[in-house]
Amino acid sequence: MLQTSNYSLVLFLQFLLLFYDLFVNSFSELLRTAPAVQLVLFIIQDIAILFNVIIIFLMFFNTFIFQAGLVNLLFHKFKGTILLSAAYLALSISFHIWVMNLRWRDSSRFVWTEGLQTLFVFQRLAAVLYCYFYKRTAVHLGDPLFYQDSLWLRKEFAQFHG
Amino acid sequence: MGKKQVCPPRALPPVPSGNQDEIPLSRPKKRKPKGKTPLDGIVQAAVRRQSESSEPLTPEPHDVPPQRKRKKKKVPTDSETSFTEQNVASLFQNGSGMDVPEAEETVIRKQRKRAKKPRPAETHSSNDLEVEEEDIIEDEHRKSPDQQPVFAAPTGISQPVSKVFVEKNRRFQAADRAELIKTTENINVLMDVKASWTTRDVALSVHRSFRLMGLFTHGFLAGYAVWNIIVIYILAGNQLSTISNLLEQYKTLAYPAQSLFYLLLSISTVSAFDRIDLAKASVALRGFLTLDPAAVASFLYFAALILSLSQQMTCDRINLYTPPSENGSIWVAGTEEEIVQPWVVVNLVVSILVGTSWIFLSYRPELDHSEELMFHAEIEEFPQGETLPRVQP
Repeated sequence: MLQTSNYSLVLFLQFLLLFYDLFVNSFSELLRTAPAVQLVLFIIQDIAILFNVIIIFLMFFNTFIFQAGLVNLLFHKFKGTILLSAAYLALSISFHIWVMNLRWRDSSRFVWTEGLQTLFVFQRLAAVLYCYFYKRTAVHLGDPLFYQDSLWLRKEFAQFHG
Repeated sequence: MGKKQVCPPRALPPVPSGNQDEIPLSRPKKRKPKGKTPLDGIVQAAVRRQSESSEPLTPEPHDVPPQRKRKKKKVPTDSETSFTEQNVASLFQNGSGMDVPEAEETVIRKQRKRAKKPRPAETHSSNDLEVEEEDIIEDEHRKSPDQQPVFAAPTGISQPVSKVFVEKNRRFQAADRAELIKTTENINVLMDVKASWTTRDVALSVHRSFRLMGLFTHGFLAGYAVWNIIVIYILAGNQLSTISNLLEQYKTLAYPAQSLFYLLLSISTVSAFDRIDLAKASVALRGFLTLDPAAVASFLYFAALILSLSQQMTCDRINLYTPPSENGSIWVAGTEEEIVQPWVVVNLVVSILVGTSWIFLSYRPELDHSEELMFHAEIEEFPQGETLPRVQP
């Protein structure tokens, strides 16, 4: 069974990483005068996304559903979060590499092209969706139903296989 | 006949074995003989004779201590009872004639000891501190002919006292029994409250906190968007006649404003998605079709977000504005209005969308399908075996 204090701590860490992600997405453009600073922020942001993905997987492993071997059920239930996290991580890394490549020599240069603008929009939209799905999953995993055998689980299992 | 005369001394063994029983419970190694009365000599002689007569007893103390240690490490309270039972059993095995009332008396003594030395208050219930009648062993009980040997341990008569001795900082300090009961009861109440705080409550409180923050953000964003568009129109002048003035003045504001827009729009969009529970596509779709305020607001926020993000390039262009006449300017003379006008219109549309969403959401600020479906549906509906929550798409 998940301890309340442990869950609070994990939830706090997840929200901290999410807010860092949101902060960098919002204000990284303002810090572009120092490319090294921006690079470090981007690297930490990508690592934070990766950490968040690792944490959510560890939380999955901790559930009764996973330990009972119903991995498919769990992944089916949260596949939106998993796919979005993976997509967002890929988009973030691509956008960061592209932007840093263009601005490394001259940070005050106008670098925008149609392609970069499109990638930027998709990356930022994915960030919002990722934030929503991730937050929802993290909060949802606090439900004790995931940590014990229950009628709900049996019905979910029957429904999943039915 | 001689053998029959020897029999009465054989009734003695329970007493020394009773003493042996009590010794290891307190401190086996440091136990000292109490007092040096002439009776002690008799006691020791009797004990020695008994131990000599029953030789098989001697190897047993070597076997018992490891078990005792192991049990003490695990659960102290259990170890006491198990130890007592163990000793009783061993005594029966040895055929020393230990009868049941003595075993009970041993248990009673243990209880009395426990009551006198409570551990730190949080591990004890207040009931342990109360005096029970059975804890008090009166004089009559001890005067039974079988159990009243002359060499009984010089224990006094138990009396209820108002003081209890609590171990604090490795020292036992006297504390008032009534006060201690009160404090332990308070601690128990606190512990009950804390224990009832489950992970579901944590998740629910976090969810509600975020909804509250979202509610604030909706209002702030609406106000900020209105302020932004007013500033733009004032700087641009009538019919965008003073665009160069707008660009000169607004270029330092353009990027911070855009960043703040993104931050507020992100939080607002996530909060609006929370309200319709977008992850459950069927519920969200039904919300859109029935023009649920939360669903409409979510759509408007998402549209505003896309529009706002699409202006990033123009924002950067405004941020890097230098008059076209200057060298290295990215602005070409005569194209300012072409570039700026769509940007102003998009900003106006974003402001309208954000303002409308705020009106929709603030009309019913308590509306939250996510909380209903995520936290309540599974508890209430499943015991009855009715509808099941859909799998997240």
